[in-house]
Amino acid sequence: MNALLNKEMRLSASILSYLFIGFGLMTLLPGYPILCGVFFVTLGLFQSFQSAREANDIVFSALLPVAKHDVVKGKYQFSMLIELSAFLLMALITLLRMTVLADSSVYLQNALMNANPFFLGVALLIFGLFNAVFIGGFFKTAYNFGKPFVSYIIVCFLTICAAEALHHVPGLQALNAFGFDHFALQMLLLLGGALLYAALTWLSYKKACENFEKIDL
Amino acid sequence: MSIVELKDVCKTYPAFRLHDVSFSLESGKITGFIGRNGAGKTTTIKSMLNLIHTDGGEISYFGMPLSGHETEIKQRIGYSTGTVSWYPRKTIRQIVDVTRTFYRSWDEDAYRKYMTLFGLDESKKPMELSEGMKVKFNLLLALSHRAEVLILDEPTSGLDPFSRDELLGLFQTLREHGVTILFSTHITSDLERCADNIIYISQGEIRAECSKADFLKNYGNPGETLEEIFLRLEREAKS
Repeated sequence: MNALLNKEMRLSASILSYLFIGFGLMTLLPGYPILCGVFFVTLGLFQSFQSAREANDIVFSALLPVAKHDVVKGKYQFSMLIELSAFLLMALITLLRMTVLADSSVYLQNALMNANPFFLGVALLIFGLFNAVFIGGFFKTAYNFGKPFVSYIIVCFLTICAAEALHHVPGLQALNAFGFDHFALQMLLLLGGALLYAALTWLSYKKACENFEKIDL
Repeated sequence: MSIVELKDVCKTYPAFRLHDVSFSLESGKITGFIGRNGAGKTTTIKSMLNLIHTDGGEISYFGMPLSGHETEIKQRIGYSTGTVSWYPRKTIRQIVDVTRTFYRSWDEDAYRKYMTLFGLDESKKPMELSEGMKVKFNLLLALSHRAEVLILDEPTSGLDPFSRDELLGLFQTLREHGVTILFSTHITSDLERCADNIIYISQGEIRAECSKADFLKNYGNPGETLEEIFLRLEREAKS
């Protein structure tokens, strides 16, 4: 593990960032908009940015023997670690719902989104939006996180609403597939979500580095 | 020999401008950096640490420009400020355990020595320390990786007279070991005791850069102390 990620995990992070990974378990809830679990995971990450600001973490990090833009890298690495840990948990539960629990009546009678690869793809998209809108927005000033977080909340819930509504549109029922139905399409959508996550994260990281270099700490 | 050089560094804020700041620090010397509040001392120091984005000018350490050699340079310099509290709710042990992983030349013996000298307790958190002890903790972090250049922003503020005396003695010992120190302060009596050179900044411009003896000779009247000269120069600049 590199020194910056170690610093993020041991000094900068709020304990809530780790605990809120557990919201990935919401993937098990029947009759619930399970994408909200993704939002709660990012809420835990937001707490780390809040506690880091109170601890003068950004200036402390910039004084360490690292390039100034590496401070941004540390924040992105930590956020991705939490996001991908939560994603792994959600993926395991999704697999459980697609196999062992595939015939469970509480899931079969679910009017909301099923846990399937499309759900995982949207989860990755929301994590990507957090990185782009919140973290990218935070590094425009390196202290103001209120506006970026409110912007992220709006984008996040619009995405959740759209994802929940889409499978009710005639012709798009395959988005809400059970078990391994429409598996090729489902995996394609998951791949699309993964690509969007990678693109949003990478592009916002580059922009955040550029902005952070210009900031006066 | 110059170990740190600033050439035409400038930075403009809406209500303040740092004008073409140029100076150099001699190796193994203590340089006092004086100026009233708002004169540009902290802006200059932040520029030297790449904490602010300058509008122009060049900063170099050990013959290397800061831009492009930031990581290498930061391995070899130390910075301490008197007032900031890092990670107030973590213990000193937790902060140091992480900090040491960044430095190739972290010196555990020096760290233990300064912990004892400063009377710090590893189980304490910065929020539990007095202002003076926070200054000592910041200095501890700056001193424990064998820094060749120390940049100290108000390092003695908040310290009791005995601790100040100890610290000034420590700076003199470090100088004997070849450490270069930039000592920004408005407590000019500290510089009377330990500084070799003086840099005087006023309204964002360097007004003097010379040895302390030359500063006293060229800017002072017979019998005037550094503080009296500083006060008179500031009054003259204001009128």
